[in-house]
Amino acid sequence: MSALTSSDIEIAARAADQFTRLYYTVYDSDTRSDDIPNFYRSTSTVTWNGTGYQGSEGVKSMMERMPPTKHEVQSYDCHPIPGNQPPSLLITVSGTVTHGKGPIGNPASTPRGSLDGQPRVFSQTFMLVPDPTAPPAKPGEVAKYYVGADAMRFVG
Amino acid sequence: MSSTQTTGARAIATSALRGAGLIDHDERMRDVSDKPGGRKGSSKHRAHRPRPIDAYKDHTPGPSRSSMLSARIIGATGEPLSIRGAARPTAVGRMRRNAISSVTGSTKSTLEPRTPTVARKAVDVWREFVKSRYNADAQFLNLERMLDDNIIRKSNLLPPGAPGSSVKEASVIFKLASQLKPEVKTVSLAHNNISHGQLLSSLSHYLPQIANLSLENNNLQMWRDLDYISTRNRRLEHLQELILTGNPIRELEYKNGRGDKYRGEIGRRFPSLTVLDREPMTVIAFDKPQASSSTAAAKLPTATTFPSDMQGSFITGVEPSLVSNFLARFLSTWDNQRASLLDAYHPSATFSFSANTAIPTRARLQGFQHSKEMPNQKKLEWGPWLSGGEGGSRNLSRMAGGLEKMVKSLHVGSDAAVRAMVALPRSKHDVSGSPEKFCVDAWPVGEGARMCLFMCVHGQFTEEPIGGERSFDRSFVLAPAPEGSRAKLNGWDIMIMSDQLVVRSYSSPEAWKPGPMRVQHGDPLPAFSSQQIPPQVQQELSQIPEPQRTLVLQICQRTGLNVKFAVDCLQGNGWDFDRAVKNFEEVKGNLARDAFL
Repeated sequence: MSALTSSDIEIAARAADQFTRLYYTVYDSDTRSDDIPNFYRSTSTVTWNGTGYQGSEGVKSMMERMPPTKHEVQSYDCHPIPGNQPPSLLITVSGTVTHGKGPIGNPASTPRGSLDGQPRVFSQTFMLVPDPTAPPAKPGEVAKYYVGADAMRFVG
Repeated sequence: MSSTQTTGARAIATSALRGAGLIDHDERMRDVSDKPGGRKGSSKHRAHRPRPIDAYKDHTPGPSRSSMLSARIIGATGEPLSIRGAARPTAVGRMRRNAISSVTGSTKSTLEPRTPTVARKAVDVWREFVKSRYNADAQFLNLERMLDDNIIRKSNLLPPGAPGSSVKEASVIFKLASQLKPEVKTVSLAHNNISHGQLLSSLSHYLPQIANLSLENNNLQMWRDLDYISTRNRRLEHLQELILTGNPIRELEYKNGRGDKYRGEIGRRFPSLTVLDREPMTVIAFDKPQASSSTAAAKLPTATTFPSDMQGSFITGVEPSLVSNFLARFLSTWDNQRASLLDAYHPSATFSFSANTAIPTRARLQGFQHSKEMPNQKKLEWGPWLSGGEGGSRNLSRMAGGLEKMVKSLHVGSDAAVRAMVALPRSKHDVSGSPEKFCVDAWPVGEGARMCLFMCVHGQFTEEPIGGERSFDRSFVLAPAPEGSRAKLNGWDIMIMSDQLVVRSYSSPEAWKPGPMRVQHGDPLPAFSSQQIPPQVQQELSQIPEPQRTLVLQICQRTGLNVKFAVDCLQGNGWDFDRAVKNFEEVKGNLARDAFL
């Protein structure tokens, strides 16, 4: 197994930066049902709070039934996974997500200190894998990556 | 770099530049500089100044280019000796400073700032100037060599980068540029003696959308100058091409054989970059949303409920006992004999930890910080997690430092991984006592030719010796331990390839307690979960064909109506879920008990 180089690490971190920025911007947009499934393939396995969804189609059906969201990424980390070349990536994101209209969407009768509508802490882990069948890349492109596995949970 | 540049790369960069509208600046520049007598008419205030443009006249590309570059830098540096230069006591820095002082030193005393004396309002001049520099077809704003611009010169104004100029001029120019139509995509600020990042700050403020930027042959020296426009600080998030050739920040790195490091540092600051200094960046690509799909009739997210209830641990495709045995042993070894975890890691494994120090809203509302049950919460400190563990927290979204910290905080190889772990605070995970405080999602994933196990654990631990509670998320990539491997010999059937630990402020494990979840206050919770449909409902539903069946089920769940009334309600509302729910809310007070389940 070839050792990871600092260049592998740097490229992976840059990809994670791009990916998280892009992913949550799209997730919080009006076009998410069309656009989020593009990050996945038919073989991708996804869980949302313990419910499994299969492939881009499964992700699409889930996104269509998701209330409006607003994510705030507070921390993320990314490793190139040792083994293959180019390496797959493991990305863990920690942040908050507000659904619907958030606290201001609660009715006036809502008691003070109610948790409803308040942002939840979420944890989402992605495994990004290179697609060997992807069309020829642009100069400088290592490969085209997609989400092979994605586990999302509310954790606070 | 140019002399070592391959023809192929250059061709690519050239075509990218042409596409970006950056390439034709060469020709424009030659036009300006070659204009006979173009410099002759300069005002006497300017006559004593070094002329950046003079050094630029010889513009032959090819092997002589690199030496040309350095000539240009020295020639182009019209500003008096900067303090920043003095902070870099390298031989090269000294040479450069000497070079500058030899140009400017003798004339420094006679250098007078230009003061605007014309009656015409400065903003009108700047507007005319910006307009004259805009190529609308290419969406290219050419702000090169502003010092030599006739419009500016006639009005005695100070362009950005000129000695004595302030950030204000730049703000005016970029603000005017933000009003141009169609919007600016490409900006060239080449050859302007820019040495301060603040000036660039107004660029990213007014033109955040630009895709291409040339800062060629300026005087940028410090990484923090670029932080003013860095995507990491939410600036210039769409930048695809950047040229810094001919700035000390780049040339010194190359001169010292650190070209790769330079490209890495830039890549870290501008992750969307695909071309840097006319050479393609090494990037990982995704299937980004295409313009076509984004413009297609987008359906606004309107759901007012979640797609499914909260469910417990999701473990599939793998024996649950394999997962639970691994975790029980891993966490207890982590608590009691961390160093011996060396056995559980592949020799090339990766490990890192990061601290998410944000205060969780729900936990704050629940008052955990002041709870009697957890009296030590206020004593917990982030210091050991932020800077401890042999390299500190690897929160890539908050990591201010450059490449070095990012590489140092990722521990590669089992030895380095365990060394870092041992240096973290001690902990106690109560896995056997309170299993509800933990939650696991795990399934096998094909990765190239091999299969690995993807596992995410959420839970809490007591940080010792303080005795305060913390929450954590831990993501693993695991592989079967081969016969004879260190892991297998020590009883680990699966071994760790990658391991990421996120430590957060304490939140209640109620977060993943199975059951329905509310979006807003007062929303009705589903009458029953889709996993537990009452038998009678199941039987009645089976008579209804799809796709109506799913809708009926959703209405039953949402409203508590029985199947017959759910069908009536949907029929009366054209089988539109949202209309049906709205209708239900209006009439529910008048419905008889037998309408409900």
